[in-house]
Amino acid sequence: MKIAVCVKHAVDETELKVDAGGNPQLKGAATRMSTFDKNAVEEALRLKAAHQGEVVIVTVGTPEAKKTMKEALAMGADRGVLVSADPMAIDTRRTAELLAAALKKGGPYDVVLCSEGSSDMYSGLVPPMVGELLDLPYVGYARRIEVSGQAAKVERALEDSVEVVEAPTPLVASVVSEINEPRYPTLIQIMQAGRKPVEELSAEALIPGAGQSVSLVRGMKAQAMARKRVVFEGPPEETAKKLLEALASEGVLPR
Amino acid sequence: MSVSVWAFSESPSVANEVASSASSIARAAGGSFTVIGLDDSGPLLAGEEKVVLKSDVPLSTSPEAAAGALAKFAREENPDVVLVGSTRDGKEIASRLAVKLGRPCVSEVFGASLGNGTLQGKRNVFAGKLVAEVAVPLPCVVALKVGTTSALPASEAAAREKAMGSLPSKTKLLEMREKQKGTVDLKGAKLIVAAGRGVKKKEDLAIVSELAAALGGAVGCSRPLSADMGWLPEEHHIGLTGVTVHPDLYIAVGISGQLQHVAGIKDSKVIAAVNTDKSAPMFEASDYGVVGDLYSVLPAMLRQIKARRQ
Repeated sequence: MKIAVCVKHAVDETELKVDAGGNPQLKGAATRMSTFDKNAVEEALRLKAAHQGEVVIVTVGTPEAKKTMKEALAMGADRGVLVSADPMAIDTRRTAELLAAALKKGGPYDVVLCSEGSSDMYSGLVPPMVGELLDLPYVGYARRIEVSGQAAKVERALEDSVEVVEAPTPLVASVVSEINEPRYPTLIQIMQAGRKPVEELSAEALIPGAGQSVSLVRGMKAQAMARKRVVFEGPPEETAKKLLEALASEGVLPR
Repeated sequence: MSVSVWAFSESPSVANEVASSASSIARAAGGSFTVIGLDDSGPLLAGEEKVVLKSDVPLSTSPEAAAGALAKFAREENPDVVLVGSTRDGKEIASRLAVKLGRPCVSEVFGASLGNGTLQGKRNVFAGKLVAEVAVPLPCVVALKVGTTSALPASEAAAREKAMGSLPSKTKLLEMREKQKGTVDLKGAKLIVAAGRGVKKKEDLAIVSELAAALGGAVGCSRPLSADMGWLPEEHHIGLTGVTVHPDLYIAVGISGQLQHVAGIKDSKVIAAVNTDKSAPMFEASDYGVVGDLYSVLPAMLRQIKARRQ
């Protein structure tokens, strides 16, 4: 079974600094593989363990994205494809087009996995766009995937319901983080990851004109967190009393 | 030339909200709006212009078929803006529609308005740490954040029916289970007490439930408790990848306050926190905090709530 996983190299939102004017310091910020993508890589590795085959990591990113590629290869993926473009300078549709073109070029893949959304922009649009562009069956928000023969049975976690969907392979799916617990690579795996092959493709070669900026984002500012931040310390009876009084004066406690 | 806006959601509970946003966006720009529904997802309530798409195949349970129907109709009518509710299926429908029509697409947008040939709006990014301003050139497909606008009142106007014929769907729905309702309705809850990793054992969740019961609230949790420990069903998970809530009062008990969790509670009116760690980020995101052990603070709160009522 040939499995592709689409991942994104992203700024670590927990480490992102904001200056006094509310402007994010994106340049030089700490980066890593988008949080939920690890679940997609993990699921691919589990599918490989059950069905044999190969796991290929595909990403659209700047040269810095090699760091994410290495993380995924260290987890156990076999090789990588890096499409060079700045994902922050292009929109979701262009990103999906580049991923789809790279998947087509290196394919056919039996299963293409993505996470439900990236931890930076969290649009959730790229995975279904890839499915649509490749004209393959697409199953979003999978919390369980079983492949047998030429078909997959997928459990989808929706807001108010759980769906069980059947789709023939090849297929594209996005996974939710509850699907599995991503493994941690061993030191040896981390060391070996650097030797695994990574093919670099230029965006322009895949789709002429694709390197041009098509960002729909005009700017980003820190979210105003207008919270009072009153903190009570002391013996429990006292702090509990102060808290309840404060909440009562806000009018949010039932009478 | 007047701008035409479509409002669509496959979910009847979200459809009115999208119609409400479409109404104000279109009105402010001097344009018109049409509410589009699916024949098998319940009657359309709001809007003066209503169109119901009919097909030989189920549309409401196949985002692929629904997107196919919308795309077919959009090619006939050419609306400038297609607004879709940012539900999980809604985002798939919006994505597919954008690809089919060759239009730009943005999801989870709020505060949208039209001007200078673009739809402008905002969306939360970086787990809610930042707000991005987006400008999407028309014609476009935009998925609106759910839970940001009140629903539009129902109108008497009859819906026009539009037969779309048969539409392809490459997946087959085998089974659909509604998540148990009644056990927890966090989205509509006025008061929520949520537990985090500060709770040491599953049995100790009783203290949290007891506080919630005393205050007439619902019980929620942070991701580790549902996803990693399995102490509570996934429906209780509040945060970016779980449920987004907007109660009058949110009490975070033993929750450290990771960005992903805080992203799901931003719209709460008042946020309170109980945590042993004074430097927990949860306090930064709270109006009132108690630095202390939940195992002594919660029983003290319960005693005082009971004493007040006597």
